[in-house]
Amino acid sequence: MRPIDVDARRYAWCRSRALWIIGMPARIHLEDAHGALEAGQDGLLRFVARRIGDACAVSLNLAVNYERPIPPYAMRSSWALERLQGHELWQPCWELIRGIDDASNEEIVERCESLIRRVCAIVGEIPNILTPEGHYPAIAMARDWSKLLDAVGEEAPLPYNWTLPT
Amino acid sequence: MKNRMTPRENLGRRIEQFHGVSLEQVLGEIAYLRDAGDSVIAGGSLAYGLGNRLSDLDLLITGTATVESSRIPMQHFIDSLRVDVWKLSRALVEECFERAEQALGGEGAVEGSFGDIDHEDELKLLHRIAFGVVVDGGGLEDIGGRDYRAVASSLVVREYAERMRTSALLAQLAYRSGRSIAAVANARLAIESALNAVVVHRGLPFSGDKWLRDRLVNQTPDLASVYEPFRQLPENPARDASAFVDAALATCVEMWGMDLEIDALVSAANWRNTDLKLGEVGADRLLLSARFGALWGLDENEAAAWGRFAAGGAESPDAMWSLEECCEDGMPLCLRLHELGVLSLHWDKGVPIEGLHPMRTRGAPA
Repeated sequence: MRPIDVDARRYAWCRSRALWIIGMPARIHLEDAHGALEAGQDGLLRFVARRIGDACAVSLNLAVNYERPIPPYAMRSSWALERLQGHELWQPCWELIRGIDDASNEEIVERCESLIRRVCAIVGEIPNILTPEGHYPAIAMARDWSKLLDAVGEEAPLPYNWTLPT
Repeated sequence: MKNRMTPRENLGRRIEQFHGVSLEQVLGEIAYLRDAGDSVIAGGSLAYGLGNRLSDLDLLITGTATVESSRIPMQHFIDSLRVDVWKLSRALVEECFERAEQALGGEGAVEGSFGDIDHEDELKLLHRIAFGVVVDGGGLEDIGGRDYRAVASSLVVREYAERMRTSALLAQLAYRSGRSIAAVANARLAIESALNAVVVHRGLPFSGDKWLRDRLVNQTPDLASVYEPFRQLPENPARDASAFVDAALATCVEMWGMDLEIDALVSAANWRNTDLKLGEVGADRLLLSARFGALWGLDENEAAAWGRFAAGGAESPDAMWSLEECCEDGMPLCLRLHELGVLSLHWDKGVPIEGLHPMRTRGAPA
């Protein structure tokens, strides 16, 4: 048996949110990054790369340090980066958050993909909600998390009417 | 040569090019959602001439006989095109505009009540209705002489002016507290909020923060150079935060004519407690949030500062206290607690549109 080395409420709260952030906002931004790369939309690409840096830093901080709650957006990246000091993914997160001006569009997309892949290896995987084949499995996974969160008396990260029949 | 296509034809051509899907196919796919007499309106980046092959198509179904409204989009896939459909009765649409008008006429801060940085839903919805492309049906005829575009634009300008004010305050507080990454990040957010407000003030539909830089380059080129020095945060924030923050705030002031000096801002802002309470265990001073199951150890100065807030009632439910009441050792503590998500920032008043003085930049419409 593998013990979960943290209080059950904190584990369920932090892990569910970490997964959801890397599984939905980060994926939406990555899709935007691919679209922007193809269309030569430099501004969009650089903006979503920043958001990917934010999302990865926050998701990682939740999963690694079990920090809660999540602060307002304006303070989120500094909050996450401070607590990730010394982590091997601090630098790639910071570079994206800072904003990349001196790399090619292809290189920026590559850095985004690489960071998401490395964060997912720590946080876990969630089916791609943006695809026809991943949409319902992702909702089903969110429903499973909602049940666990209910069981420990915590709120789910998604509106309940997204995942549970009313 | 001028593009003589109608906005609907333009939209149809783009989704045909990107996905080989016609607007008629889209209408067929969502026909089951429609009620008699309603209209289908396209908004979002594809409708506004932005977007790309991977952008989804945002549609709004609305009419006076529309039933079963849903604020959550219903997702459809037509080949590679993803279509998000919102269905709202005309009464709900009007109610949304009424609330927007009330917010614009009121003194209170809008403060994200129509959509924050993470969820811009209602701001976008208002702009889809006001600026969207009618794909089918008669569109929205005016009710009671309401100027939908003016309401939708003013609300975004006000929301973003308030965001600029908040970011300007946080940038200065963070700098003074030695939180250099938070300082420069907020200085950039202040600039971006100011620019987003200018773009919408010039009559362009709101399309979310992510299109800002492309819009500056393609639609408001006189503003692109304003943004340039702030697109990237300094490599060494600890060393360069002061210059970066000062320059960003000076540019915001130039754009909107608003006083963003810290002394002017702290007098109008308040911290609001969630459920923090100071506990003493032996010699330890612990700040507890039972709601989040979180505990922080305070040093002697921090405990003394919190003790003063508590003596003033700060530990009562939803207690608020002015930033002016925070003395030198209290402000860094409050900022840290805000950064931890357990103190929120609230303003006495919103930013009335009439109090803003937008700059006239080169090439800008009069």
